[in-house]
Amino acid sequence: MPIAKLVKSNSHTDYVCQVFGPGEVAEPPDPADYAFGTFVRMPIDHGGTDLVGTDLVGIVYDTLLLNPDFGSLGPRLSPTADLAIFSPDYLAEKVTLVGVAAIGALRSSSTPTHGVPPLAAQIDTLVEGMDDDAVRAFHTCPDGTVQLGYAPLLLATGSPLARHLLISIIDRLRDLFPEEDARLAVLRGEMLWQATVQPVGGRTV
Amino acid sequence: MSDIRPIGITKGPGETAHEYLFITPDRGQTAKSGEFVYYAAQVDGQNRRVLGRVTGRQPVRLLPNGFLADPDVPPEGVAALIGYTGHEHELFEITVTVLGYYDGTIGDFINPRLPPRAGTPIFIAESDMLARVLSKRAVGQTGAAHVGSLLSRPAGEVPIAIDLRAVTSTHLAIIASTGSGKSYLAGVLLEELLAPLNRAAVLVVDPHGEYDTLVQMYEREEFSDRDGYRPQVEIIRPADVKVRVSSLTLGDLRYLLPNLSERMHYVLGKAYGIVRSSLGDNWTRANLRIAVRQAEDELSGRSGADEDGQDDDFGTAGALIWRLNSRLEHSAIFNDTQSLPLGKLFHPGQCTVLQLNEVDHREQQVVVATLLRRLLDARMKTSRGEATDTDAAYLPYPTFVLIEEAHNFAPASGDLVSSEILKTILSEGRKFGVSVGLISQRPGRLDADVLSQCMTQFILRIVNPADQARVAESVESVGRDLLSELPALSKGQAIVAGAAVNTPVLCRVRKRITEHGAEDVDAPAQWVAWFEEGRDAERERDRAMPFDGESRRRDDIFKM
Repeated sequence: MPIAKLVKSNSHTDYVCQVFGPGEVAEPPDPADYAFGTFVRMPIDHGGTDLVGTDLVGIVYDTLLLNPDFGSLGPRLSPTADLAIFSPDYLAEKVTLVGVAAIGALRSSSTPTHGVPPLAAQIDTLVEGMDDDAVRAFHTCPDGTVQLGYAPLLLATGSPLARHLLISIIDRLRDLFPEEDARLAVLRGEMLWQATVQPVGGRTV
Repeated sequence: MSDIRPIGITKGPGETAHEYLFITPDRGQTAKSGEFVYYAAQVDGQNRRVLGRVTGRQPVRLLPNGFLADPDVPPEGVAALIGYTGHEHELFEITVTVLGYYDGTIGDFINPRLPPRAGTPIFIAESDMLARVLSKRAVGQTGAAHVGSLLSRPAGEVPIAIDLRAVTSTHLAIIASTGSGKSYLAGVLLEELLAPLNRAAVLVVDPHGEYDTLVQMYEREEFSDRDGYRPQVEIIRPADVKVRVSSLTLGDLRYLLPNLSERMHYVLGKAYGIVRSSLGDNWTRANLRIAVRQAEDELSGRSGADEDGQDDDFGTAGALIWRLNSRLEHSAIFNDTQSLPLGKLFHPGQCTVLQLNEVDHREQQVVVATLLRRLLDARMKTSRGEATDTDAAYLPYPTFVLIEEAHNFAPASGDLVSSEILKTILSEGRKFGVSVGLISQRPGRLDADVLSQCMTQFILRIVNPADQARVAESVESVGRDLLSELPALSKGQAIVAGAAVNTPVLCRVRKRITEHGAEDVDAPAQWVAWFEEGRDAERERDRAMPFDGESRRRDDIFKM
């Protein structure tokens, strides 16, 4: 079920998606559906036959609440309840935007790829959440082990939230891949150090 | 050429003009410290292989420390987790000191004085190439002493043979801490000197009695030759060490006699002059005593003294004679007629071991000093034609003297009687075919001039910083990079440097053919064996008194 639509991109891997609000879809998404660290998929559909079934995989790394009315302190003639009847467009301008980092591609018939996807998604592409099976499939190597090949890409963005994002991803993967807990724990430990102790003066020699 | 694949690629020049850097994944872990590598270069229109020695190794790519947090999780696994699937994450920057290309016509390395260009492939030097260029002489040639093999290669693959001609003209030093194998190495060297191809005339000054086992050379087939040659090994026991007093110099006498007053020094000098001028080299202890009386009388204006003529007082002469008697009369070494004959001590194909293990320290120094003085004198006279076959001082062949515990004979702390003659031999001995090898476990206590004149050095493990500093100061042929290896060397591993090899090498000392004679006593084993053999019970039985009705235990002995 779609939770948002793609409305803008800042770069080849950095997309802005507008979360569906009331009235736009039958069941508007719950805030938990687009929480920080949520995996989403965006179909790549350029009409080419070889791309059918390929999804761009992204992760919600940022949330932005957009309110055009913010700063207009003057009184309004119409109460908000009336606006829903007389000017529904105005209400639609208050939106929730989420930043989605494209981290790879998933195709049902082939091995998932991690890293910078070669093709970009299109405007208005519907963004769907990924269930545990899809997340597991995206993170599974051909030999059955877990992979997190997009981690360097996320860290390279320089975002202050990148390490926290990775920690939340690793926590989810530890549940999905309990047999890989030891390796994931080492990586989590390093990210946790960099995200928590290092900013307050901890040193790595 | 078994493997012509390069091990790395040149990165660029190093810190100094004679260094360059190359980068390698070092798959075979071959770029070890001390290993030899080369690059191909055109020098004066000729293809040359420019040899260099690995002197530094730095990793240039390391995994984050955090990846090493769990000993049960390989860090490569964590790297694979985040997408690093490369098989070789390790890369090394290797520092190489250029030796140059080997020019067979001059028998040495020539530095092209131009570092390799970036991108030049670097190869590990083949073992047969190293065997040709590292040693001045090939194993099996006359004048070659096969002391071991190159440490960075499997044992025996690259034999290291030192040039005995260089050793016997410019001297040798073996420097090492206790227990690092210096006596063992000396044994190997002596085996090579006495091998059928070399047949040297060698004397070993052995203050610890460690070289008895060399007599096995006579029995071993490895040392025999078709012409019937077998090396002779003469062991001179401490009781057989003899020094004729007339071979002592005034300096020797002064050194032997403790606590001489100014006047005694004067009287002794005068007396020595009297015996030398009247009797030459054939004076006795009695002659010297008479001369002391005479000198004292001359000094005090009296006359008519004889050997037994006692003065009315126990003056300078009396005190001096008392000292002379206590040192020279009661000594098993000093006598009026006998000296160790040089012809018996030195002969080609003979190793003479002069054991001094029960001899007083000062006497040891005087024995060695007189011996070396006589040796140099004999060689000088023989080479100048002043001595003939019938003379005691006739020695018509070069000689080599190996001195253990050399710091006792040429200490840094002061000039001894033996220091002086050692320095003379080190500076002038080459002209007359007298060479020495010094062995010391305390180079810090060895005279720096003496050490620096030994132009071939075997340096084994040295841990003491003072000793390391002395080696660095005195041994100029060994670079700082090799000296840094000193504390890390294991037993039986040595740096061989100087005139007898083409370039300093890390060497694994070969196995001795004869047994090593300086093994430590295994005290715990002997203690346990005492009980196993029932020696206490045996002794108690042997010493038992006739039964007196009361049994006595060993403990009771102390209650008597």
